[in-house]
Amino acid sequence: MKPSPRIMMFTWEFPPRIIGGISPHVYNLSKELAENGAEVYVITCDFPGAPAHEKVDDVEVFRVDSYKNPAPDFASWVYLMNMNMQKEAASIIRDLGGVDILHAHDWLVAAATIGLKHVFRKPLIATIHSTEVGRRGGIYSDYERMIHETEAWLTYEAWRLICCSNYMLIHVREFFNLPADKMVMIPNGVNTGEYDMYLKENLREFRNKFASSEEKIVLFVGRLVYEKGAQVLIRAAPKILEKVNARIIIVGNGYMKEQLLALAESMGVAHKVTFTGFLDEESLKKLQVCADVAVVPSLYEPFGIVALEAMAAKSPVVVSDTGGLSEIVEHDVTGVKIRPNDPESLAWGVTRILLDNGYADWIRENAYRKVKEAYNWSRIAQQTKEIYIKVLEEYSRTFWA
Amino acid sequence: MRIIIFSWEYPPRIVGRLAYYVSELATKLANSGLKMHVVTYHDSLIGDFEEASGVKVHRVTNPVKTHINLLTWTITLNQEIERITANIYYRENGQIDLIDVHEWQFIPAAVTIKRAFEIPFIYSIESIEDHRSGGANNPMNIAIKSIEQLGVLEADIIIVKSEWMKNEVKTIYGVSTGKIKVANLEERNGLKAILDVYRSLKGEGTQK
Repeated sequence: MKPSPRIMMFTWEFPPRIIGGISPHVYNLSKELAENGAEVYVITCDFPGAPAHEKVDDVEVFRVDSYKNPAPDFASWVYLMNMNMQKEAASIIRDLGGVDILHAHDWLVAAATIGLKHVFRKPLIATIHSTEVGRRGGIYSDYERMIHETEAWLTYEAWRLICCSNYMLIHVREFFNLPADKMVMIPNGVNTGEYDMYLKENLREFRNKFASSEEKIVLFVGRLVYEKGAQVLIRAAPKILEKVNARIIIVGNGYMKEQLLALAESMGVAHKVTFTGFLDEESLKKLQVCADVAVVPSLYEPFGIVALEAMAAKSPVVVSDTGGLSEIVEHDVTGVKIRPNDPESLAWGVTRILLDNGYADWIRENAYRKVKEAYNWSRIAQQTKEIYIKVLEEYSRTFWA
Repeated sequence: MRIIIFSWEYPPRIVGRLAYYVSELATKLANSGLKMHVVTYHDSLIGDFEEASGVKVHRVTNPVKTHINLLTWTITLNQEIERITANIYYRENGQIDLIDVHEWQFIPAAVTIKRAFEIPFIYSIESIEDHRSGGANNPMNIAIKSIEQLGVLEADIIIVKSEWMKNEVKTIYGVSTGKIKVANLEERNGLKAILDVYRSLKGEGTQK
């Protein structure tokens, strides 16, 4: 076992390209791994203005031209992107004189990494962040089945599978019929340091841009898609506003945006709901610090990084009692758990925090401490590195080595 | 010389004429003393390996059964083509002289293999997407055309079957004619012309 294993990460998003949770995950994991003595290379999609090759915090990042090929639909684009990603990675690996581990993040990079595994005969590790079954609530079309089978293929080809919550681990194991010893749970993390500076800052002026000083801020951050549940929050708005003068701020974009606007209109709360669209990282973090309560009303949530972020920003959280959220939050200690897809329950949770400052502060401090202890990236990178070392030991006894 | 041919059809899987052409080519090359491997696809269980008339035929199936179009089907299948080709490469201690890819389907695998192992490849063109689709103007046809474009760009040599096709490939893909060779097994001295291309790529020069 070499002192510093060479890890090649594959991800379809990496900052500044941020679509969902994989981008910050891979960024933080790579950075901490590099600090823990691994050589880390990231292969990802290109992004306007981002260089094709750069070093970010000791991590070498390669951005592959992925929009050259037009495609009839998203999934076709993904497979074409895999083709481009793979051919560039093949050259890079050759130029580097090899890497020790290929690490894939989700089906979005399955094809590229599986081919490279066999060509270079190196172990492939995959982190399954979410599944098509979970995202869609079942498999109903050939399009979804293709993605589901691609996920199955990745789980078959991977040497080890990492899931970020026990909920996800059990789900992946059951849906793909996997042996238990192939799987490992390593949580997602959040960097509290990124929030600490804003916690010390006077943000009153910034806050005034979003809400009046009389209004409590109820914050939702996430893609505006069905499974993230912004619609549940809007349905709960009248009940919240009955008891508290609040401003509901919805950050993010997605196919449901028009529907959500119409819903807010029809519920008669449009004047109290602000849709900010996508926010830059600094504004988002500041807003998370300003929020009086952060709501994560997901119907499906493999992990729930946005809850951890709110906890790091010392904003009390109200989360659906589902998936990874159930594991992150301890009810009445580090947050409030509500029934998924239940506006009544959501309104109860939100007002419970907004009407009791002592309770809110208790939750705030407990949650912050918990995040710092259990979900820090340095610890997560250490756990991940241990998996790499274990896999490389197993690999060294095979005829591929 | 040790050669691997990539073709998405090979007897008993017959889609068009390509299957017959490639099997005749592989057999004749084997008879000429070349060590021939064919890597191909078959969707039923007819065996993953067969040796006939001196040609070693390796067959893979698609690891993903459900697909929404030819493009997604092709790209997942390419990973299996790469796996089998890598297996041959390691078994033969890296002694593969070139890969001859027939049509666009396995261009992605050929490009990756070339970049990983520095094995040159020939792109043998029977037809092109512009002709098949009457101008390649919907996203699907454009995507397939872009894979052909990749093949034209990355191939060390392109083989076409006629001067007319040579001109079409040159015009449509903007490639210099020096890279395009005309060689057709079905014409007089066709086998020799193909062998000459193989040898030129290996650096042996043209044999008299």
